[in-house]
Amino acid sequence: MRPGGLISRRVMLRGIGASLTLPLLDASLRRTAGADEANPDQRRLAYLYFPNGVAEGAWEPRRVGPQGRLLQLNHWMQPLEPFRDDLIIPRNLWTPRGNGHGAGTATWLTGGGYNGARIDAGGASVDQLVARHLKGRTLLPSLELSLEGAGFFSNSLPRNAISWTRGDRPQPRDTRPRAVFDRMFRSRSGETSDRSVLDLVLEDARRVKREVGAADQRQIDEYLEAVRSVEKRVAFAENRSRRAGTQPELQASLRRPPEEIPEDHRAYVRLMLDMIVLAFWADATRVATLMLDHGQSNRYFNFIDGVQGTWHALSHWRDASGKTEDDDGVTSWNSVKQKREMYNRVVRWHHEQVAYFLDRLQSVKHNGTSMLDNCMVVYGSSLSDGHEHSEDNLPLILAGGGGGTIRSGRQIAYRRETSLSRLHLSLLQRMGVDRERFADATRPLSELDT
Amino acid sequence: MCGLVWLCAGIPAVPASEPETRQPPSEDADDGPVKLTDSDARRARAADRGRDVVPLLETHCFDCHGAEEQHGDLNLQALIQQLPLVRNARSWTNVIEFLRLRSMPPAEDADLDEADRRLLISWLRQQVDGFDYSQVDDPGYEPARRLTHQQYNHTVRDLFGVNLRPADRFPADLSGQSGFDNSANSLQVQSLLFERYLGAADAIVEAILSDRPRTEELQDAARRILSANRDQRLSDAKTLKSCIARLLNRAYRRDATPSQVDRAVAVFNTARGEGLTERAAMRRVLRQILVSPRFLMHLEENPNTAEAFRIGAWDLANRLSYFLWSTMPDKPLFDQARSGGLLDETVLRREVSRMLRDPRAETLGSVFAAQWFGFQHLGTRVRLDPIDNPWCTDSLMEAMKSESTLCFVELVRENQPLRKLIDADFTYLNQELAEHYEIEGVRGPQLRRVVLRQSRRGGIFGQGSVLAVTAFPGRTSPVVRGRWILTDVLGIPLPPPPPDADEFSEELEESRRLTVRQKLERHAGKASCRACHGRIDPLGLSLENFDWFGRWRTRVRGRRIEAEVRLPDGTEFEGPAGLKRMIVQQRMDDLAAQTTRKMLAFALGRQLEYYDEKTVRGIVGAWKQDDYRMQSLITRIVTSYPFQYKRNPRSTGPRE
Repeated sequence: MRPGGLISRRVMLRGIGASLTLPLLDASLRRTAGADEANPDQRRLAYLYFPNGVAEGAWEPRRVGPQGRLLQLNHWMQPLEPFRDDLIIPRNLWTPRGNGHGAGTATWLTGGGYNGARIDAGGASVDQLVARHLKGRTLLPSLELSLEGAGFFSNSLPRNAISWTRGDRPQPRDTRPRAVFDRMFRSRSGETSDRSVLDLVLEDARRVKREVGAADQRQIDEYLEAVRSVEKRVAFAENRSRRAGTQPELQASLRRPPEEIPEDHRAYVRLMLDMIVLAFWADATRVATLMLDHGQSNRYFNFIDGVQGTWHALSHWRDASGKTEDDDGVTSWNSVKQKREMYNRVVRWHHEQVAYFLDRLQSVKHNGTSMLDNCMVVYGSSLSDGHEHSEDNLPLILAGGGGGTIRSGRQIAYRRETSLSRLHLSLLQRMGVDRERFADATRPLSELDT
Repeated sequence: MCGLVWLCAGIPAVPASEPETRQPPSEDADDGPVKLTDSDARRARAADRGRDVVPLLETHCFDCHGAEEQHGDLNLQALIQQLPLVRNARSWTNVIEFLRLRSMPPAEDADLDEADRRLLISWLRQQVDGFDYSQVDDPGYEPARRLTHQQYNHTVRDLFGVNLRPADRFPADLSGQSGFDNSANSLQVQSLLFERYLGAADAIVEAILSDRPRTEELQDAARRILSANRDQRLSDAKTLKSCIARLLNRAYRRDATPSQVDRAVAVFNTARGEGLTERAAMRRVLRQILVSPRFLMHLEENPNTAEAFRIGAWDLANRLSYFLWSTMPDKPLFDQARSGGLLDETVLRREVSRMLRDPRAETLGSVFAAQWFGFQHLGTRVRLDPIDNPWCTDSLMEAMKSESTLCFVELVRENQPLRKLIDADFTYLNQELAEHYEIEGVRGPQLRRVVLRQSRRGGIFGQGSVLAVTAFPGRTSPVVRGRWILTDVLGIPLPPPPPDADEFSEELEESRRLTVRQKLERHAGKASCRACHGRIDPLGLSLENFDWFGRWRTRVRGRRIEAEVRLPDGTEFEGPAGLKRMIVQQRMDDLAAQTTRKMLAFALGRQLEYYDEKTVRGIVGAWKQDDYRMQSLITRIVTSYPFQYKRNPRSTGPRE
């Protein structure tokens, strides 16, 4: 048990107001007797995005046995070693159409190209297709989360958008743990219930729709859709709380995060990861994305022992002069080797947080099956080597058993230039979405379960 | 080899153009850039797109930039079919530039015959640069969209007279290519945001209509909503109705229809019937108003016609107030909308000058100029550890932003010529900022107008705010500053760097001995670098005396700063004073065109399209006759075709 997270087993329910509604998992999760291949309802899908790529070689396992069996990860991936048997490390996946800090981020989950003039990422992202498919079955169709971006480009649209409901519709992201928690676990207390206000609003908006011209129909439809989804959520929560069974462990884990974003970056990351665990556990949603920073993060990781300089500067590790356009001019390095080491340490620090996340998923158990067994967690970046700005052989990890549909513990070497869209398609199908194509992919990665 | 990481790798997000797309490989050019002749132009005029141009592109370009593959996300096979080509002027300008510099097609592929290269460049230029805009007639379309978070905060403030700023914790507004957060294509209402609107509505209602308002200010706000004067009671049906009508009119920013009023009255009465107090009933009414699309969105009236149509007085009033004030109209403006007087140009001009005198017009500096020049990010993106940098206080950064805001606002309020944006003999300082600038005699925390004796400050290039956001924390970057001046201030488009650009020297020892200037001079060694860096680097180098936080310095790491520079056309100048003089003497037309484009895009709340270029050119030409005075620009914008007219898009899908 690592300290610092929200969901500590020692934490007891405290200080939760009476207004807290627990949309407890009733039937759905308790039915999970074992990983049930035929039933995608138990499955959960998460995408954890990190920017700036990794140094060449830092994503290669040290020892691989027959059939790609992972025997030992490398020094930098050491935090993930306890989960070695839960991982697939695919090689040679790439994004043929969009790459780099902006377009690569925006299209990481869409498989399209990015058109900045139109703000168009080429199509809906994989998580949003799943959300569309699961709509109405969970409290929220999906969660879109992000840490507050650091440094330049914090407001740049393509660098801050991985989830798209359509090619030209980026989803806004929640950056505050408390806001995420409240969406899932607190009913709001107004004198008029949300529903009566919402009814009035819907009625009004339908009139607006009749009044505006044809060209604005879509905007009003989107507004109506937003209202309806909130309405459904309210109904869903009421329904759930009426049926709420007892899940003492989950209840014990529900503690409302502090109002402010924690100063400590690790605490912040873990709180956001906790929100995904809670969401999956409570079946509040089955698909989530989290951006660990915006696509060109200039965050300082000086709090990590032996690291100085911004993340993006470190990613340009081959120039250690400390005087390039990327560097801050204050930080200097003795050698390329030293700068690369710092770059790797930043990535390893993120591995530690992801290991925390996997540990939490694994600790949620029902009848011998862990949440991790039912999960598919894609953790990776839209750049390969941050210095080369390459897009081939992207650093990616697929963690979790996908409800018995994924045979983990392997490195899988795909042919060069295998599209990442094929991975997306594979996971879409596992989440029950009936699709034969996704972006440029016409067949899934069949090797995942063989 | 270029001595530095290229532009694409690490430019700060000074305004939001996206210098993103990487282009396919370039090779060292042995022949130098192409220079066209008259005979090239003649050949191009005789050329036919389908017969002569498409086959050339097909042979030399489509393999990498066609339907199958889109290197650099460029699909020429599709673009060449989208007419007129100026629709995608940005892409074509880059194509022209790469052809001209011989960066494309890459040498390892079948080479493009010299005559064909000239034909392509020349033909594309005629299509793009030589496009005849007089044939264009399209005012464009501003779709329904939500308020920006800033507009929402301001509107709530002016609606209730209390500055609650409920949107401060909403998921941040992002900006795309227009560089402004008010661009329609990034302003949708999604469910996550709608939940925030509901929460904000609760918070506003609880603050203002609480049974026990906490402050006198809140009590006043409640009084304004609940009755016109103390003695009247809402139980009187007529008073109730007028009270609710007044609230609706202001919240929806146009007169509510009788049935809208009746419905809101019915909500009130139903609540009363349930036994709620007047206050509680009004809370329910207000909650609903605050999440209505009529409040949250900009909705304009659009007749169902294929022709361009003039917008109505209510819509004009709203456009005007969100352009000049970033908030809702006030009573006089509402009155002019209601009477239709605003449709009269004399009245409109009078309203504009009244509004520019109003304190709310300060948003032209704090919102428009701040987003154009990028200084709104100071203090959020540029933030140092206060323990190591005690001088870098929040109050200093606030003062820096205020300086830039106030200087811009003075240009507008005093109807100064645009050149004063670049070269002014005044600025606004408080004691802390004056000490930062080493200017004496300014005391106290209040900013005030200060006449400058030295020519280094004064004008946008001497302002700490923009100097800081165009530098990295801790060091300056002449490339970043130069690019900012060229593309963001002057509006000169630059092609993205070729993809081999981020190769740089690993010879650390040698690199350490070089000054920034010496490193930048390496750009001169390669034609594909030189073409742009010859224009970029000198501009930035001339500001090297300003450190990364805008402080004046004469030496860097013990070496004297050389700020004498030379442009490719031979123009020489030195330091900020020289830069200012050069721009005022030679580049005012560029600056005026860029100012017009930026302000028009901001005023319309959308990205400009190719057909807007006609308006831009018209405005710039006429504006010049007025010595580029600022109010003349604003008046020309609010009376312009796209500001006054609209045309429904032909399809409801996304516009080009």
